[in-house]
Amino acid sequence: MMLEIVNLHARLADPRENRREILKGIDLSVGAGEVHAIMGPNGSGKSTLASVLAGRDGYEVSGSVTYLGRDLLAMAADERACAGVFLAFQYPVEIPGVNNMYFLRAALNAQRRSRGEPELDAGQFLRAVRARLKLLDLGEDLLQRAVNVGFSGGEKKRNEIFQMAMLEPKLAILDETDSGLDIDALRLVARGVNGLRAPDRAIVLITHYQRLLDHIEPDRVHVLQDGRIVQSGDKSLAAELERRGYGTLGDAA
Amino acid sequence: MNPEARPYVEAFAPPAGEPAWLSRARRRGLERFAAEGFPSRRGEGWRYLDLGALAARPLLPRAAAGAADLRGFDLPEAGSTLVLVDGRFAPDLSRLGAGLGPLSAAAPDLAEAAFAQPSGPFAALGAALFGDGFALDVPPGAVLGAPVAVVHVASSGGASVHTRNVVRLGAGSRASLIEIFVGAGGYWRNDATALSLGEGAALDRIVLVEEAAEAVHLNDTAATLAAAARLGSFVMILGGRTVRQELRVAVAGEDAACRLDGAFVLAGDEEANIVAAVDHLAPRGATRELVKGVAAGRAHGAFQGRIVVHEGAQKADAHQLSRNLILGRRAAIDTKPELEIYADDVKCAHGASVGDLDEAAMFYLASRGIAPDEARRLLVEGFVGEAVERAEPAALRPYLRRRLGARLAKLEAA
Repeated sequence: MMLEIVNLHARLADPRENRREILKGIDLSVGAGEVHAIMGPNGSGKSTLASVLAGRDGYEVSGSVTYLGRDLLAMAADERACAGVFLAFQYPVEIPGVNNMYFLRAALNAQRRSRGEPELDAGQFLRAVRARLKLLDLGEDLLQRAVNVGFSGGEKKRNEIFQMAMLEPKLAILDETDSGLDIDALRLVARGVNGLRAPDRAIVLITHYQRLLDHIEPDRVHVLQDGRIVQSGDKSLAAELERRGYGTLGDAA
Repeated sequence: MNPEARPYVEAFAPPAGEPAWLSRARRRGLERFAAEGFPSRRGEGWRYLDLGALAARPLLPRAAAGAADLRGFDLPEAGSTLVLVDGRFAPDLSRLGAGLGPLSAAAPDLAEAAFAQPSGPFAALGAALFGDGFALDVPPGAVLGAPVAVVHVASSGGASVHTRNVVRLGAGSRASLIEIFVGAGGYWRNDATALSLGEGAALDRIVLVEEAAEAVHLNDTAATLAAAARLGSFVMILGGRTVRQELRVAVAGEDAACRLDGAFVLAGDEEANIVAAVDHLAPRGATRELVKGVAAGRAHGAFQGRIVVHEGAQKADAHQLSRNLILGRRAAIDTKPELEIYADDVKCAHGASVGDLDEAAMFYLASRGIAPDEARRLLVEGFVGEAVERAEPAALRPYLRRRLGARLAKLEAA
């Protein structure tokens, strides 16, 4: 199993938030080569799940998460990334003054160093970049800009998928990558994600809407509500949710 | 006499055979320093700098320059280079070009201009004790393509270095200048520079302060801009125990413009102060200021920016921004942007911020595999880089980025 989540709880560490519990016992198993969709209404804990898996500070976490046989919760965020975990942010962070290309090369080389691989030189890096920019229909000028600064909403999301394509993670978690995208951008993002489907890679799609799943077909669909997975099924569950809405699910749990 | 001033006054021994005007300038300076002594911290201008160590132990100038070590220094972008070791011209280390030479060899009217600007007690002491300095004289209409470099080296500790320097750009001329300050030991450097820009002249000036860890660096620069002149200035402070860079600009002619950017990166017990004072005296002048401060460890930085729009300086357009980053609980930064406006048709704005590293950005970098130390360095480099990217001449930006990178690598290790 690539990812095994058992009884995962998370509460906000900030006392001003009354240490509110967001995740209330999540169990989830994701196998290599699989695409899982996690759907749910706003506030159900979807983004918290993504943040906790990526190692964001600010949560008190209990339960266990095993990733490729390792205790994921014991690893720092950068160690998780180097071990192949990738989070595509719902709101990619703007970093003024830090050049996008410089940033990406620093990330890629940090990951390669951690795997004992040689760093890429400028030429090798540029060749890898060009091939993947094309896939996402992004211009090379984007590389010379500061990270996410002055990017349109769609560009930010495509930049996330571009980074994912560069870093070639084993476990990719996409947090509402579809939100705010028009249909053309959605197709580009889906093309990027589908291009990365591989037998040794798992993808977790977090989404509010079913429409992304028209373009990226999931193996499993889970419904998250109030911090718990209340229903799981195959892709037909997504279509059913689209028809019936999340409101009816309380009974099914 | 002020007790702090006494050792300096007693050590005063002007060289024989100097022109009468220079002897007078030295005596005037000495008398003023004897009367005033060290500036009080109670005064607004010096309140952010601790000069206690300087007051406690007099550092007198050396009779002759020591030996300078300039290994590792390389600036191929420079068209000509003048090196001052302990404030004295070092011909063997210099490669002079058109208009560049030591102050001691400058024409009297040019040299005298280096003493014309009224300023504080340290500049007065410098006038009395100075050894030499540099002079850059660009005739009207001339264009210096490659940057002029001036390297100020202090050979060792236990002494003070005083220089007077002058830059004169004739009408319509253009030049660019980089001044680099380095040294070894616990010395005190006290320099003053006069910049004069004729009508329509354009000067880009970079000041890079990389003084020794125990050094005190006080610099006073005064600029006068004639009509339609343009001054671009970028001061980057990367090293020195106590550093004060003061730049006073008189926007005297109409349609003149200045850009006074700066940055400091401080760690340990370092203290640095960027002081920028602009007087808009004529219509349609413009000022742009962006100063980026970073303080780690127990360091203390300060920015004091004051823009005065005088009566009659209509349509002045002034913008001042001080942004600061504090790394660590014991570091501190003071920022004091000030606008004083006596004309009614002006466009002026200022802003200041002090914060710590953006946690969201730190997590974003971590989520891509970048370890905390490197993430911190990237963010600080990016933060200061926004000011470096405005520096002119652009050809020197890679050099500035390399020096900044080297500084940040040390910051990490500290």
